[in-house]
Amino acid sequence: MKANVPDSKARQGMAANSPRGGAGSLSHGAGRQYWRSLDQLAETPEFRQWVEREFPAGASEWTDPVSRRHFVKIMSASFFLAGLGLAGSGCRRPVENIVPFTKMPENYVHGAPKYYATAMPTASGAVPLLVKSNDGRPTKIEGNAQHPDSNGGTDRFAQASILSLYDPDRAQRFTQAGNNASTEAAFDFLNGLGKSAQAKGGQGISFLLEPSESPSRRRLLKKLAEKLPQARFYAHQPVDLDIHRRAATLAFGQEVRPYWQFDKAKVIVSLDCDFLGSEDDAHNHIRRFAQGRRIEQPSDSLSRLYVVESLMSVTGFNSDHRLRLASSAVVHLVGALARAIVPQGGLSAKLEALGKPAGVEPRWIGECAKDLLANRGRSLVVAGYRQPMAVHLLAHAINAALGNVGQTVVFHSAPDGKEGGLPELAQALNAGQVETLVILGGNPVYTAPADLDWAQTQRKARNVVRLGYYEDETFAACADLANSWHFPLAHYLESWGDAQSSDGTLVAIQPLIAPLFGGITELELLARIAGETVSSSYEIVRQTFAGLAGGGEFESAWRKYLHDGFLANSAAKPAEVKLDEGAVAQGLTAKKDTINPSNDSLEVVFFRDYKVDDGRYNNNGWLQELPDPVTKVVWDNAVLMSRRTAQELGVKNLDKVEIHLGQRSVRGPVWVQPGMADHSLGLALGYGRKNPGRVGQGTGFNAYELRASEGANGQTIALGATVHAVGETYSLSCTQTHWSMEGRPIIREANLEEYRQHPRFAKEMSVQDAPVVAPLYPSPFDELKKHGLHQWGMSIDLNRCVGCSACMMACQSENNVPIVGKDQVRRGREMHWIRIDRYYAGRAKVSPDSPPAKEDFFETFQPEAEQQFQDWIDNPQVVTQPMLCQHCESAPCENVCPVNATSHDEEGLNVMTYNRCVGTRYCSNNCPYKVRRFNFFDFNKRPIGQFYLGPFGHRKADEWDLLKMVKNPDVTVRMRGVMEKCTYCIQRIEQAKIAQKAKARDSGDVIIPTDSFTTACAQACPAGAIVFGNLNAPESRVTQLKKLDRDYPVLEVLLTKPRTTYLARVRNPNTAMPDAEVTKAPLSLQEFEQKMGDPFEEEGHKAKGE
Amino acid sequence: MSTAAANPITTKLPSGVPQPPPELQRIPLVANGRSFGWISNQVAALTEGRTPVWWWICFVPSVLLLGLLGFTLSYQISTGVGVWGNMHPVMWAWDIVNFVWWIGIGHAGTLISAILFLLRQRWRTAVNRAAEAMTIFAVMCAGIYPAVHVGRVWYDWWLFPIPNSNSIWPQFRSPLMWDVFAVSTYFTVSVLFWYMGLIPDLAVLRDRAKTKLRQFLYGLFALGWTGSNRHWSNYEKAYLILAGLSTPLVLSVHSIVSLDFSVSQLPGWHTTIFPPYFVAGAVFSGFGMVLSLLIPLRSMFKLQDIITMRHIDVMCKVTLATGSIVGYAYAMEFFIAWYSGNPNERFHFLNRALGPYQWAWIMMVSCNVLVPQLFWFKKVRQNLVIVFIMSILVNVGMWFERFVIIVLSLHRDFIPSNWGYYRPTWVDICTYLGTFGLFFTMFFLFIRFLPMIAVSEVKGVTPQADPHHPAGGAKIEEPIPDEEE
Repeated sequence: MKANVPDSKARQGMAANSPRGGAGSLSHGAGRQYWRSLDQLAETPEFRQWVEREFPAGASEWTDPVSRRHFVKIMSASFFLAGLGLAGSGCRRPVENIVPFTKMPENYVHGAPKYYATAMPTASGAVPLLVKSNDGRPTKIEGNAQHPDSNGGTDRFAQASILSLYDPDRAQRFTQAGNNASTEAAFDFLNGLGKSAQAKGGQGISFLLEPSESPSRRRLLKKLAEKLPQARFYAHQPVDLDIHRRAATLAFGQEVRPYWQFDKAKVIVSLDCDFLGSEDDAHNHIRRFAQGRRIEQPSDSLSRLYVVESLMSVTGFNSDHRLRLASSAVVHLVGALARAIVPQGGLSAKLEALGKPAGVEPRWIGECAKDLLANRGRSLVVAGYRQPMAVHLLAHAINAALGNVGQTVVFHSAPDGKEGGLPELAQALNAGQVETLVILGGNPVYTAPADLDWAQTQRKARNVVRLGYYEDETFAACADLANSWHFPLAHYLESWGDAQSSDGTLVAIQPLIAPLFGGITELELLARIAGETVSSSYEIVRQTFAGLAGGGEFESAWRKYLHDGFLANSAAKPAEVKLDEGAVAQGLTAKKDTINPSNDSLEVVFFRDYKVDDGRYNNNGWLQELPDPVTKVVWDNAVLMSRRTAQELGVKNLDKVEIHLGQRSVRGPVWVQPGMADHSLGLALGYGRKNPGRVGQGTGFNAYELRASEGANGQTIALGATVHAVGETYSLSCTQTHWSMEGRPIIREANLEEYRQHPRFAKEMSVQDAPVVAPLYPSPFDELKKHGLHQWGMSIDLNRCVGCSACMMACQSENNVPIVGKDQVRRGREMHWIRIDRYYAGRAKVSPDSPPAKEDFFETFQPEAEQQFQDWIDNPQVVTQPMLCQHCESAPCENVCPVNATSHDEEGLNVMTYNRCVGTRYCSNNCPYKVRRFNFFDFNKRPIGQFYLGPFGHRKADEWDLLKMVKNPDVTVRMRGVMEKCTYCIQRIEQAKIAQKAKARDSGDVIIPTDSFTTACAQACPAGAIVFGNLNAPESRVTQLKKLDRDYPVLEVLLTKPRTTYLARVRNPNTAMPDAEVTKAPLSLQEFEQKMGDPFEEEGHKAKGE
Repeated sequence: MSTAAANPITTKLPSGVPQPPPELQRIPLVANGRSFGWISNQVAALTEGRTPVWWWICFVPSVLLLGLLGFTLSYQISTGVGVWGNMHPVMWAWDIVNFVWWIGIGHAGTLISAILFLLRQRWRTAVNRAAEAMTIFAVMCAGIYPAVHVGRVWYDWWLFPIPNSNSIWPQFRSPLMWDVFAVSTYFTVSVLFWYMGLIPDLAVLRDRAKTKLRQFLYGLFALGWTGSNRHWSNYEKAYLILAGLSTPLVLSVHSIVSLDFSVSQLPGWHTTIFPPYFVAGAVFSGFGMVLSLLIPLRSMFKLQDIITMRHIDVMCKVTLATGSIVGYAYAMEFFIAWYSGNPNERFHFLNRALGPYQWAWIMMVSCNVLVPQLFWFKKVRQNLVIVFIMSILVNVGMWFERFVIIVLSLHRDFIPSNWGYYRPTWVDICTYLGTFGLFFTMFFLFIRFLPMIAVSEVKGVTPQADPHHPAGGAKIEEPIPDEEE
């Protein structure tokens, strides 16, 4: 899967010729002139009048931005232009529907996908990508494995971002005062704005920016600041990920940003830092962390993770020691930790002042500190974005004291944009200093701290110019202002751009499709205001590149840059840094005293949602339906609290409560979260939006409404909240209702010591020995495994899997898995082919003399709703397991299908013939893993909410057109009434086989090169936990992994002989810790022992099952 | 009727005929020494004359419910299986529960007509016709479910081995495939058997018909029956053959239905006890249903002399016996779950009794095991109200048995992350009610237009039908005066 070298000429042409591609491009070319005039004609008052007179009924359709007509109009215009301007480059939708190719583009094979390197910009970097394009439409996003700081893994946002590209609710028009405006008028306005601003030296113009790591934007902003010296720049980030940079800058006295290297750390301490989940660049952290958790032999070493947190997070899942502690108390803990580690000096007095965290055993901190000290230079302390500056500063101080700086954490230069924050902008607006407010991206009306009353504040500017992806709350709040303009923002797959990934490497953002709805880029808008002669983003990016690449032959360097997707050897050099103790001490002074939360003064923790981020993905159905990795709730957020807190407040799951914080209040449903700190409430941001679009409508509640401003951005931890039930209940949909594994050996784990003593522990945990029965006839696979060309199999390393769920998104995208909506998920009908099972294992009380987990015999049989009241959930250990079709060699689903719709192929795949399926659902009943999914309704054909209307349910035309574009053409779209399930991405297998056969010709060498392709889930996995390959190739990775002694199949006792096997998990707890007695074996293993007996007992009469 | 039970032992004889010797003194199957003529009149009268008002009162709601069935099925077929409550992991729920339940009900008829015939249980003659009709209608109700519960109803024919252009055959290893054969064979043979038995009675109705239309229609279906010796001889042979054919089917159909479950490997399904246990349960529920139907009918139609308390008593005993077998099977399942040492199996059975669906399990055990134990008492067996209520409870219990087996096994299986809780929707409930509409519509049409008692067979078990009986054979010149005419 190599990226094709794009035809650079065509690409230049494409950018220049894009329908909104810039003034220069619009001014020449006869074909374009023609269309442009028609466009203009359509916008003249005479024409509009005529339309209204002639077709009063159809007139609204002409203006309705989401009507099919409009869509087709724009599409056909761009196709036609594409055909004329470039003779097609493979970057666009095929034009043959409108006009046939008059000249076939070179190297264009109809139906053959092409791959282009690009990148998805994120708040603090970019995810390098390789995007698949089918006949000109991007269909699948994959990580760019050639990038020096990537293994080809991605995160769930990148995988799902392709759906946002085809979102029918995107902003699709230029508007002035909420009314349609022509492109020309919009650009004329921008040019005029630029001229008038320059005339006044930028007096009265303010820019509100989103964080970005684009060198081009940086360059343009610099130019803009030069041209408009009086202009003001502000930045807004609802989730304050920038604190890492600010803290490092403060601590080291240089403008730097930390770059964590978890792979090099032997001991990691996370201070409320969800670096595997909700921190930015999590997929890179996962990769490095998984590297440190890699274990193949008993002699291998393993990193150890301590986590201190209030919320249960993905990082908490993977901890060896987890301390649940109110977020506001973390500062006391880190103070105590620093006292034990940082040498006595200027800091000690300040540290003493921090006091001790209430309710934490001093031994916990002491032993943790000892472990850190024993691993100087090989340990790492990280603080999370929710924590105040003091915690970050102390984390840096500890790292510096341990000699970790430059070893496990390096610092890259990160220049301060010197932008103001939202409160400053609000001040300026209130003072009437802002005449024109330019909002680039973001959705401040929704995300701004509630005390700023942004919807009203924003209106104090005379002009509001907004570049936005949706016509959202910010659009609605000023749509009625006469001078408000809204520009549709192009998706990154429609844009030219650049960015720096977290390691500093320059990555290219190149478009795979012309803007579907005529969106423009931020670069273009800035260039126009700056009055630049070059306003096409393509040219801007090229100029930036020319400046950065330096030397050599430009064109070939540029071509290589676009081909690879990055500029080789452009990674940042680690900065030489030295801790500025004075600054740290200064920062600690700023730390206010905190009060311990209690049930009448609760702590509220606002956190970035795992799925909708800060709300930007609220209208993305895939992400909405992705089960939250922690709660497994879909389509909603909830008020997360611990069992004890709920008990004290007298509420239970699904009760609607009102949270009061100061003057403000919000209402949301309670969700008792195992492992939460007591008296702490977790509120995910990003839900409860007013104008999210048709998908996100009515999902969750808006936690921003509770949030006051603090520093540059909103609060992350607030104290003093009260909660009372409002007497209503709310329904939440959760994909996994049962929390405990019930002592079953589904996920097998052991501590490192146990693993060393019993390397084959996973195999010894088989509940029963498989019955010894002579087979009636030999298994055909015994022979095929010896002589067959390909035998497919998969190995999933549970020690690497952190539960991030990127695989689920990748599968959804690759295999055209539909979404079913909240109501259907509540009925247990979600369609995910791969799911992440998450189990809690716990003890009633975490003390050495408490009885082992789950002593109450009857508890197991209680309804799932009772789990929230059981005390074993207070401080659980968590395990996760990706579960997908196991491709059993003797598959129970196959022999019960009455119509042969599911059967086995010679390569060991359990294949599903959708056309043959009548839908008896017997296969699902007989599948012990329950990985088969049934199309209870026409999930593809009917929109969510209209399933029950049957044939009367219809998708809107615009939705339908776009929905079709996101589908993978190589995978059947299933109709209602058929079963479906994971196929091991059979389309990829077949493509690889066909390619190899074509290559082999007469040589007969038709065996696919080992590990030359993989499944979508394996490809997306940043941890490299999922490995797929040919079991008949002895050197393949999967064959090697299956030989490891941790390898085990789930439910092997049923003799299903699964082709998917798992590598058991190994924990690495510190035996000196106070909970060592409790965690002497993983809690799930203790549960297992309690029910099934000691698996490691010497041979003889095992007490299994007695 | 007070005289029915007055003196069952003494056969009424014409004057001058001495009482038979004691060895011939048996409780007659037809009470009050009713004559052949009385039997013919009494049964044929049901299909002749004015339609009783109560018939309309029962029939019209049945037809309305049938309409509801039509509506819910059209809705489900046009919209998708999702209108039901079926879910992941409970992919089968009320659809298969009701299928098995109706099939079970359909067991009594053929058992009564075939097995009891072969076992020379002559009391069967009074109830076999109605029971057979019940069987056929119940199998029709049952057949609806497997046909429409699939995702793509229009491809149901793929389950039949019909040669097709794709050259794809059904998968013969699948128990669902076996179901198709078992149920359709059972239905076909049951219909044939029932119709065969009807022929002599249809001829009676033909001969009594007063209108041309009745003459024509009954004549058509009586197939030219004259009652000649040759006809009777052929008839008896054919009846015996069909009884022989049906007997294994009675056992096979529910055994095969039970294989749908036991062939799978789900705890709670994967068990070898199922075939006999299912057959016993089916007979149990079938007799329950026969009792529920005949107790009201015998008083409505004044058939107490034909369907006597002795019949009720015998059927109660069969119910007690089969109910106890079912109870034994429940106990065995728990024992084996414990004895096998299989943790999944153990968990499953404990979960039945202690889990979230405990209420269903309690319903099942109390209705199927505890309630029938009352039949040990003769007083209970003689109290029609109690018997009627108990017969309904038996059917409720058997419905819950299927619910327990199907839904409880599926809702918590091997991997706890899959666990779920199933709830039916209004469509599930209305479809089920609708099948009652179909059943009762058919049944009320049957009792209105066809003889619901096998006239010729009942006559054959009267004392006077025995040539050696003092009152039997051709000795009787004058008819015995009937008291109630």
